[in-house]
Amino acid sequence: MKKNLVKGVALVAVSILGVTGLSLSPANATAANKTVIAQSGNTLSGLNSSVNGKNLVTNVEVTAPTGAGFTYYNNKTQLIRNTAFGTFKITQNTCATNLVFGCFKVTYTIKKGLKYSDGTLITGQDLLLSHAVSNSDYSIKAGLGDPNSDAGSKFDSLGYGGAYDENTRATSMNLSDDNYSVTLSYAKFMPDWQIMGPGPGAVHALVGLAKGKKSLQTARTNATYKAEFENAYYTSIEALPPTDDEDYEAALEDRTAARTLMSRMAQKWSTAWNITTVTSSTNPLLLISNGGFKITSCGPSSCTLDRNPLASVGGSPKKTGNMERLIFKFPATGTTFNPNLVGQAIKNGEVDLFSGEATAAFWSTVNGDPDITASRTSVLLYEHFDIRTGDASAANSTVNSDGNCAAPYDGPFKGSTQRAKDLRKAMMLVVPRQTIANTYIGKVFDPGFTGNSPMLNSSFSLTTEGDYSKVVAGSSSYVNDFTKDQATRNAMALALMKKYYPNAGPGSDSISVKMLTSTAARRVDIALQIQLQADKVGIKLTNTASTGWSGLLNCNNYDVSTFAWSKSAISQTGTTPQYASDGSNNRAGWSDPTLDTLLKKFEDTLSATQLISAKIAAERQLWSNYWTLQQYQWPGVAAWNKDVKNVLPNPLNPNTTWNYWQLGY
Amino acid sequence: MLAFIGRRISLALLILFGSTYLTYQLAAYSGDPLAGVRESTDPNKEVIIRELTRTLQLDVPPPARYFLWLQKALGLATGTPDFGNTVLLRFPVIDQISAAIPITIRLLLISTILAIVLGITFGVLSAIRQYSRLDYSLTFLSFLLFSLPIFWVAVLLKEFMAIQFNDFLARPTIDLASNLVIATLLAVIITGFVSGTRKRVLITFGVSFSTVFLIFFAAGATEWFRYPSLGIFGITLLGASCAVGFTHVFTGLANKKALGAGLTSVALGAAVYYPFGALAGPGTNYPLMLAMAILMLSSSYFVGYFFTKIDKGPVIRVSMLSAFFVGLFTVLDKLMQTWDTYYELSNGRPIETMGSYNITLQSNDFWVVNLDLLTHLILPTTALTLISFAGYLRYSRASVLEVLSMDYIRTARAKGMPEREVILRHALRNAMIPLTTLIAFDIAGLLGGAIITEAVFGWRGMGSLANEAIVTQDLNLLMGTFSITAFLAVMATLAADLIYSTLDPRIRIRK
Repeated sequence: MKKNLVKGVALVAVSILGVTGLSLSPANATAANKTVIAQSGNTLSGLNSSVNGKNLVTNVEVTAPTGAGFTYYNNKTQLIRNTAFGTFKITQNTCATNLVFGCFKVTYTIKKGLKYSDGTLITGQDLLLSHAVSNSDYSIKAGLGDPNSDAGSKFDSLGYGGAYDENTRATSMNLSDDNYSVTLSYAKFMPDWQIMGPGPGAVHALVGLAKGKKSLQTARTNATYKAEFENAYYTSIEALPPTDDEDYEAALEDRTAARTLMSRMAQKWSTAWNITTVTSSTNPLLLISNGGFKITSCGPSSCTLDRNPLASVGGSPKKTGNMERLIFKFPATGTTFNPNLVGQAIKNGEVDLFSGEATAAFWSTVNGDPDITASRTSVLLYEHFDIRTGDASAANSTVNSDGNCAAPYDGPFKGSTQRAKDLRKAMMLVVPRQTIANTYIGKVFDPGFTGNSPMLNSSFSLTTEGDYSKVVAGSSSYVNDFTKDQATRNAMALALMKKYYPNAGPGSDSISVKMLTSTAARRVDIALQIQLQADKVGIKLTNTASTGWSGLLNCNNYDVSTFAWSKSAISQTGTTPQYASDGSNNRAGWSDPTLDTLLKKFEDTLSATQLISAKIAAERQLWSNYWTLQQYQWPGVAAWNKDVKNVLPNPLNPNTTWNYWQLGY
Repeated sequence: MLAFIGRRISLALLILFGSTYLTYQLAAYSGDPLAGVRESTDPNKEVIIRELTRTLQLDVPPPARYFLWLQKALGLATGTPDFGNTVLLRFPVIDQISAAIPITIRLLLISTILAIVLGITFGVLSAIRQYSRLDYSLTFLSFLLFSLPIFWVAVLLKEFMAIQFNDFLARPTIDLASNLVIATLLAVIITGFVSGTRKRVLITFGVSFSTVFLIFFAAGATEWFRYPSLGIFGITLLGASCAVGFTHVFTGLANKKALGAGLTSVALGAAVYYPFGALAGPGTNYPLMLAMAILMLSSSYFVGYFFTKIDKGPVIRVSMLSAFFVGLFTVLDKLMQTWDTYYELSNGRPIETMGSYNITLQSNDFWVVNLDLLTHLILPTTALTLISFAGYLRYSRASVLEVLSMDYIRTARAKGMPEREVILRHALRNAMIPLTTLIAFDIAGLLGGAIITEAVFGWRGMGSLANEAIVTQDLNLLMGTFSITAFLAVMATLAADLIYSTLDPRIRIRK
């Protein structure tokens, strides 16, 4: 046996030694790398993110480098004007003196000579399409259908609804004689006019698709297509002469033809770009770009974009980075991506860029690695604690999904009496904001964290916005109460409670409060933290964690709730729906005419200083009502291969590739 | 039999109906698919909510909505089964499942087969050497592996078998200290499998240590890990070792016919080494490879058949297994020869931590593409095999031990039957009966996916789909994945019942 064993081992050894003796010569070094691989948080579901159901982060990320427009957000959430594409300015603003339709006008002018990747000139006709997909009045008048009806518009667009739609008409967008400018007319002054402008859409490609073309067309054909679209765009909404008019038949025929073309275009616009695979056989009309990059291939795991040879004349900002290829890698797990996986992938050189929600595992993997730059960021998602004061606003009255909700609201925090305000303030004071912020910010990055993480002290500015500190300073007399240590705040809360409940104290259960949260561990934990402190001042807080919590937000059965708001853009009036008496996001019955007046100011033309003053005034009024307490802004993290230059993480999407023209090695 | 199958299928349909109905209701009432939209401050969120409510038919109560889903899923209205679209990405569920099934099979089939083969082999070895050093070593190993959480194993594998290994490949030499550590560790493991006197153990340790040290020294010196190859010499040596090994297991080395057949198959394999290299170029394809495999195996069958006139079975087995492994080593060698090209194409990081293939790889070379698929299988397959191997090992050990204590085994031994025959023909076959249930369910469970493994290695298989469906409250996706897995589970039970009666003639289906 011994002999056999030695024989066996020797045989294996000789085999392997023989194998290892064979070796080949080394290969040449690889060429200089100009490819950047960005990890997306979910999977691509379509190339037109304006179609209903396709407005996903990855769809926007992948298509953003293929387009350039009048503006973009930088990493400081500032809206930057892209003069390489064109300019825009207010050309009429007389609404203050004469409030009629058209009293506010903005003119957008495209820089002459810009071209799409197929060589076609970019003109004002390309801007018209954005109005057709955002204005309900146009859709109805052009015979494309009412976006607000069950059948909807033939343009399956998510652009309908909102301030732009409500304040423009079918005829709002007019093309200049030279075809390079459009002027937008509004019903009133639009405070967020700068983010409402049109973007270019390659209408010649859309007409080609509507006509069943499967290849790029000649310059002459494309010019004809543009003219056809312009004609159809306007003719579709023209009123017909009386039926007995001699031009009626001709006008009807023209309008029918125009509507037929618009209808086919709408159908193509809504469906043709809903693709997730791009190969060499994909219709090139779908891949026309005026950005710095063009999509060359897409599959279930990735999309590859290569530099657009005509990028310098497409209107994207001037190229300063040497990136030639940008690959977006999609998670295999679809929409439930675990960022922890990316840490090791970046270390292994599989991924160059990633930005997402912070987790301890991800941070510990990337932080301190000599080959990786890791950066703490914040995402535009913030936790808040709301107190109900009455029935949900009329705008929300029909959304209530629980038929058993009591009405009218008759809880301890009802109304605007001093007693209600004092009790609300007591309730807010016991919310252990610092502990909560430390748990969900500091300890995410360092489990042994013992310092103080930043709390969110404003309802009108996020910590990532430039005016945050000024707005907070302006309302410091209120903020200071809520930044004291917890023992002091509990004492203040107890004093307020004793004004109305002399026996209030730990465990006295002087008032009962019902709380609503989701069943997410984070929210249940926050509720528990609040419950522990509330008990010390005699508030008996009972949490109802419900999987269907979001449908119960209007329900009067709950006195307080905690959840997060997410923002997708920075706008002057963006906060109004939460706090205005009739606001669409006001679900706790808040109503304050003084605050409503202050919120109206956001609808005026405001300079940066005036905006800060308006925010401070509204912020102070909001604080004085003790309706809501902001807790913290969710932490984010970005990590990238140290060799990739000019990565500037952006809280708005696209997060790491927004400045693709600057990226490179 | 047909009546039995008919009854079981009817019962299965009832179970499927009940389970899908219950799952649908539980899932529908467990959350709000619109929760994410409601937290948004988008000005047009009400439009989105309205659109989603219409699309997902959320205005219909779940008990009634189930029947709308069932009607579509069975294709009652259109004649084509339709599981609907996913909520967020709007992809047809049926497409998602169709894409996920092959990925899951690729991931789980190899690891399940490896776990079954290794688990049963070592389980039997452990049982027939009960209370030996080997038994204790395997028991320790199985409990250790059994207790490892897969997400932790995955993180370790990624760190050491991907990140560190890729770093190592940039300069693939092994320093003295590392070589000493590797040799000591491997020698300890090998020694753990040897029983006998202390002297024998020490000799084994010494020989193992020296051998491993020499192998790794040679591999480091020649940068073998960067430029690997087996060559005709290596293939012949490894093939011959296999032929000797299989002869030893199936017939004993005294059977010169079996040994001759095995070695002849190895020689045949070596003889076609160069023709294979010429035929299987970058443009080769699976049908050609399959044809060559069939040719090789059928040749080895005839080698075994003509080598002996009596008791042909074991000889043919040795011959075919030897041929199979020579073929495997030849393919492995071809892949190794492609390694350098693959290394360059993958920018010097051939082992990835995420995904089932390298998305940046630009090659149509059959060998490069397959090497890429294989390198992406290494980590998840290793993790899954390590974890599930332990279960099979413990089950098969217990099962064989029980059978070995039976009277008929004692009788077989008493009548002078060789131990090899007793184990392979009598004990193993009977020990397989309880294992059949386990294997049947594991194979059916394959399509259910491995949620954690798929998630940590970034594979979009059935497990990932199910996980996504649960997390995003995607009822269509959840019901799609659940229906497939539930159907297979029910079918597996039926299959297990039928296999029982084949394995054990005493088990018969009653009327």
